[in-house]
Amino acid sequence: MVGIKSELKVERKLLTILLLLTALLGRAQVTDTFGLFTDRDLYASGEFILIKVFTPTSVPSGIVGIDLVSSTGNKVTAAFLEVKDQQADGFIELPDSLSSGTYLLRSSTRTGTAQTWKELYIANRFKGLPESNAFPRLSAGDPAQGINVQTIQLEGIEKAYSRKANGHFLLRLPPEIAIQKDNSLSVCISREVQGYHTHSFPVIVDKKSDPSIGNDGTIIEGTILDQETAHPFKNAVVMLSVPDSVPGFKYCTTGENGRFIFKLTNYYGKIPVVVQCYDPEKKRLLKIVRSNPENFSASLPTLVNQEFSADLLKMIAKNIESANYRKIFQQQELVIRPKPVALAEKYPFWGVPSQVIYPKLFIDLPNFDEISRELLPLVKFRSYNRNPTLQVFNVQRNNFFSDQPLLLLNGVPVRDLNDIKEMGTREIDRIEIAQSERFNGNLRFPGVVAISNRKLDCSRIKESDELIKLTLDAVQPPYAINPPLEHPGKEPDLRQVLLWQPSLKPEQTMEINFRTSDIRGSFKITIRGKGNDGKIFSGEQIFEAN
Amino acid sequence: MTERFFPGNKFLKPIKMKSKILYIGTLLVLLTASSLSAQEELPKDWNTEKIKGIRFIPYDHYQGNSYLTENFVPGVVVLDGGIKIANLNLRYCEYRDELLYYNAEILTQINIDKISIKSFSLTDENGVVRIFRQQFYNGFIPGNRFFELLCDGDVALLVYRKVVLQDCPVYYDETRGLKNMSFQNAFSYYLYNSKKGYEPIALDKKSLLSKFRESDQGQVRKILRENKIRLKDEDSFVKAWKLLSSNNILPVFGSKP
Repeated sequence: MVGIKSELKVERKLLTILLLLTALLGRAQVTDTFGLFTDRDLYASGEFILIKVFTPTSVPSGIVGIDLVSSTGNKVTAAFLEVKDQQADGFIELPDSLSSGTYLLRSSTRTGTAQTWKELYIANRFKGLPESNAFPRLSAGDPAQGINVQTIQLEGIEKAYSRKANGHFLLRLPPEIAIQKDNSLSVCISREVQGYHTHSFPVIVDKKSDPSIGNDGTIIEGTILDQETAHPFKNAVVMLSVPDSVPGFKYCTTGENGRFIFKLTNYYGKIPVVVQCYDPEKKRLLKIVRSNPENFSASLPTLVNQEFSADLLKMIAKNIESANYRKIFQQQELVIRPKPVALAEKYPFWGVPSQVIYPKLFIDLPNFDEISRELLPLVKFRSYNRNPTLQVFNVQRNNFFSDQPLLLLNGVPVRDLNDIKEMGTREIDRIEIAQSERFNGNLRFPGVVAISNRKLDCSRIKESDELIKLTLDAVQPPYAINPPLEHPGKEPDLRQVLLWQPSLKPEQTMEINFRTSDIRGSFKITIRGKGNDGKIFSGEQIFEAN
Repeated sequence: MTERFFPGNKFLKPIKMKSKILYIGTLLVLLTASSLSAQEELPKDWNTEKIKGIRFIPYDHYQGNSYLTENFVPGVVVLDGGIKIANLNLRYCEYRDELLYYNAEILTQINIDKISIKSFSLTDENGVVRIFRQQFYNGFIPGNRFFELLCDGDVALLVYRKVVLQDCPVYYDETRGLKNMSFQNAFSYYLYNSKKGYEPIALDKKSLLSKFRESDQGQVRKILRENKIRLKDEDSFVKAWKLLSSNNILPVFGSKP
């Protein structure tokens, strides 16, 4: 009997340890989620969604992706926000053509397993109120946030303000929050929709991408196929170019699976990108196939239909009206501040040119053949029998390279010389020539001829199976909301978001000022932040504008 | 319990207990392994494509050394943007102040664009790691140069390993060709401070003492005497400099050599 008792004791101890370990691991996964917040829950098409994200502790920096997905799992649009000190903020511009319905906002990182979903209602501002009497909503679950801390005190808020009046309040934070200087607070004052409040829901998914890619930068990936066999092609050279005043250039060589992957960092906003490939042995024709976008329907949370309340329908109508008036009066809701691109390179990737020619300083020449004969010393461009050739003089060896040099148009390699043969001096601002044998990694360039113009126009380069042109969404640039009105006395002020301060440094007492708009109704002050323990705290208060 | 269901089986009890421990142990190992598996994946090298340069064309050979090392040796290059590229075959050309890289995949010697390099280090044939920094020199013949870092600190001791081609007595080279020029070392040593710039220094006791306050010079002499350091070459000078730095005897930057 003693033996059995001791056996049971050991067994219990082992099971307890196992349970504790499982509980700890499980808890770590659940609590390490995104805090995803928006300025409102109800929007009209054409408006901006203002977003604040507190990232999990495992994502202190990098990029967080925000996707707007329809209730059926189709991706509408996306934004990539830069994460600093475990937080990020940005916006999504809603397309005007968006149909009315429930949409889901998702925050995720490329390599992380944590995701957070938030539901929103977007009404099409042209079609008016929704025809259907029901709309899908996220089924009840465990909200990711909403841990209100009572110790956040909002002092000095009046119950009602008149329209276009100045208001202010004091925000008193408990010392344990105020001393965390690395944290940031977000303060939002926006229109309150009675009877429609949404929450965020955390989801843990399977690991998506190779963790070595990291969470920073924008990724372009795909596969190179043999056009004839449709099999992945090994040893294809894939080049990525970003046309710019100092163009970006990357290349890679495919392996057995024909895969290629590029990571672009230090780019902001929408950037034009050209991806092209070729067989270095010049035997096969290839095809670029970009990776399919992520399938959202697999991780889509469960949605259940719910009827519209009378209040919600009223608010949707008011919301559409406000959005339409703002559009009529051409009042900008948000201004994007251009962020200067941090140049990764001091000089172009083709090296410091040995000669620079400005063709516009000379007489008009109708084509590149004439330009090369008259203006480009030691560059031979000949166009006989529709088969142009280009050669550059090698100053290191004192003879002409036998191979075709690297020909660039605004930084994009041009492999078919027919694309540029009709270019005259009016289309070219600058020609740079490098007269030595250059190397970029394993790529060899027998001289370089780089043509550029101020418009960065690459329309002469034709798209094909081996060359694709894209416009990529890189990291979102900084922005400012509610720029001052052009005629403040004459125009109605139709701001639905009275204040959006997504990154305030916490202090024990903070004075917050705002100004009400011409809109009557309820407004909600929302304070959100992330504590030292990784938990999200928030405080809310509602006031009326009459 | 087990005896009630399996009477007389004296082996069952210990086996059951052991197997439980084994199962739980295996489960824990599996859990740990799954959480570590992500860390085992090695990061991809995104940087090798970033080396840019031109083909190196060998120049005529003369007596003397025009390279820091006899052959290509392993090294690391830090590009201007801070990108570090390791495991490269490097060779520093002292004559042209150029960094050469042997690309084994395309079997080519590449002269890396100087403008793209921030610093580099290579391990010479004796196993010594030599660190070079690219800096702008604003003295006679200004320009960007590779300086070898002999001692780092607020006041760094640098050497510009310049080799020049000079006339010399006539000699026959390996191909029985008659030549009258040879590579000669023309190294220049400098004290460098990022704010105050460069100050030349000679490898002798007088020059060393002149870099310290008069009140410290006695102590400098004493330390050199006690450690039996005779300033006759680069090694002894570097040793003395390090010894003085470790004794917190700091030079006065800006005094004449």
